[in-house]
Amino acid sequence: MRHLNLPKERTFIGPALLWKRIAAFFIDMIIINLVVLFPFRSLFQNIIPKDYSFSEAYKLLSSSTDYTGFITSVSFVISVLIVLYFLMLEIKMSQTIGKMLMKVYVVDARVHLASSRSTSYNNTLKAWQLLARNLVFIPIFPFVLLWILDPLFMFFTKTNQRLTEILSKTKVVEKYSLEQ
Amino acid sequence: MRNQNFARVQENKIPESSFRWGYAIFVLFLLSILSFIAIGVISLFVGIDVESLSGNVALIPIQGVIVGSEDSEFLFESVTSSQDAVEFIEKADKNPSIKAIILEINSPGGSAVASEEIANAVRKTNKTTVAWIREAGASGAYWVASAADYIVANRVSITGSIGVIASYLEFPSLLERYNVTYQRLVSGKYKDIGSPYKEMTPEEKAIFQENLDSIRDYFVSEVAKNRNLNKKDVDKIANGLFYLGIQAKELGLVDELGSKDEVIAYIEGKEGIKADVVKYKKEETLLDVLSKVLSKQSFFAGKGIGSALLDKKIASTVSIST
Repeated sequence: MRHLNLPKERTFIGPALLWKRIAAFFIDMIIINLVVLFPFRSLFQNIIPKDYSFSEAYKLLSSSTDYTGFITSVSFVISVLIVLYFLMLEIKMSQTIGKMLMKVYVVDARVHLASSRSTSYNNTLKAWQLLARNLVFIPIFPFVLLWILDPLFMFFTKTNQRLTEILSKTKVVEKYSLEQ
Repeated sequence: MRNQNFARVQENKIPESSFRWGYAIFVLFLLSILSFIAIGVISLFVGIDVESLSGNVALIPIQGVIVGSEDSEFLFESVTSSQDAVEFIEKADKNPSIKAIILEINSPGGSAVASEEIANAVRKTNKTTVAWIREAGASGAYWVASAADYIVANRVSITGSIGVIASYLEFPSLLERYNVTYQRLVSGKYKDIGSPYKEMTPEEKAIFQENLDSIRDYFVSEVAKNRNLNKKDVDKIANGLFYLGIQAKELGLVDELGSKDEVIAYIEGKEGIKADVVKYKKEETLLDVLSKVLSKQSFFAGKGIGSALLDKKIASTVSIST
């Protein structure tokens, strides 16, 4: 049986859809919470009684410098682990698990700006770029300001880039097929 | 140049799907291991007693001599620092799940200032407080106990001993024997009062005695106020004599004779709770243990116990205890 010599699928790379990015982020957060931060969860369950409201838990944890020092150390370690999750996955594959499922990629905005007709991803991302785009997870001033500013930029920029993405010269893209 | 760039992009293409999933699982596994290690390291270097955050009744031990801070001169004796005790009381007071505080007392007393600090902290708390005197709750330790809402003492425990004691070393004869002369240079008549290098004058002794009487009077009035007793009555028994638990009960210095069971029963009855006692104790981090070992070693190697006695400042040779 002979096959027709059909033309190759025509594709191009463009900014990822917003909902896909948000979904990828939530998937990543669920995975981090379930797997990476699992030991910390049991630690906090031991510290805070089950029937405590948020305000009661806050009052309890701020009751002594011992606890506040402990909480500060734990939050710092957690943020380092989260940054490591994104860094280790994105530097090797340009994707985290959430992005893999949503089929979106992190790319170097400078490369993809130069070749707007690009049809393939490349992971020429540098470690500093990935660190910079994940600064939002560091729970220290002034990075905490990014918790609000960073996602806001995504909604108000043409390229849907977060503030840290603009600073790190990266963007999240996906492959579009012209036949779709 | 363009070809070179193209080649580099081709080399760095996204890895195959099977590799990606394998790598992702590897990263998750690695980070989980790191989390466990991080928790271990944090617990070693940040002293926190996770257990102390659970339970609804805080048990705070007042063991040994009551001192102002742990770095006082009691090298091998068990001590309770008022700093730690006050911190525990305040911590338990702020913890909404803690309904009552038990002070487990087994102390002969100690520094008047430190005892008062603890007693004040006990009085300030809004929680139900119970003093449980085991073997001894004498002098300053009784001062602390009196600040609690209720006192339970063992039948044969030692309580009371309301009074103040001051002591000092005096060795001018020893100096004389070795031909050492104390050259007195003071600006202010009483600047070297209590110096071990000279004999105390009757006038100086009278000054000391006056101060001791003042402290005793304050001690008596505090106990009377805390226990809602007549000051004159307390004054009559405040001669430094200790009482067995059973005698103290008859005198009204304690409320009940018994052990931990009686303490728990009182709290459960008053608060209407099922008591879940949690002990507040100072957690020692790895660094604390290491620094303690090193400081003790340095102490013995460098100074020795004898030199420690001689090196003390003249003004600090008189110690006042309750």
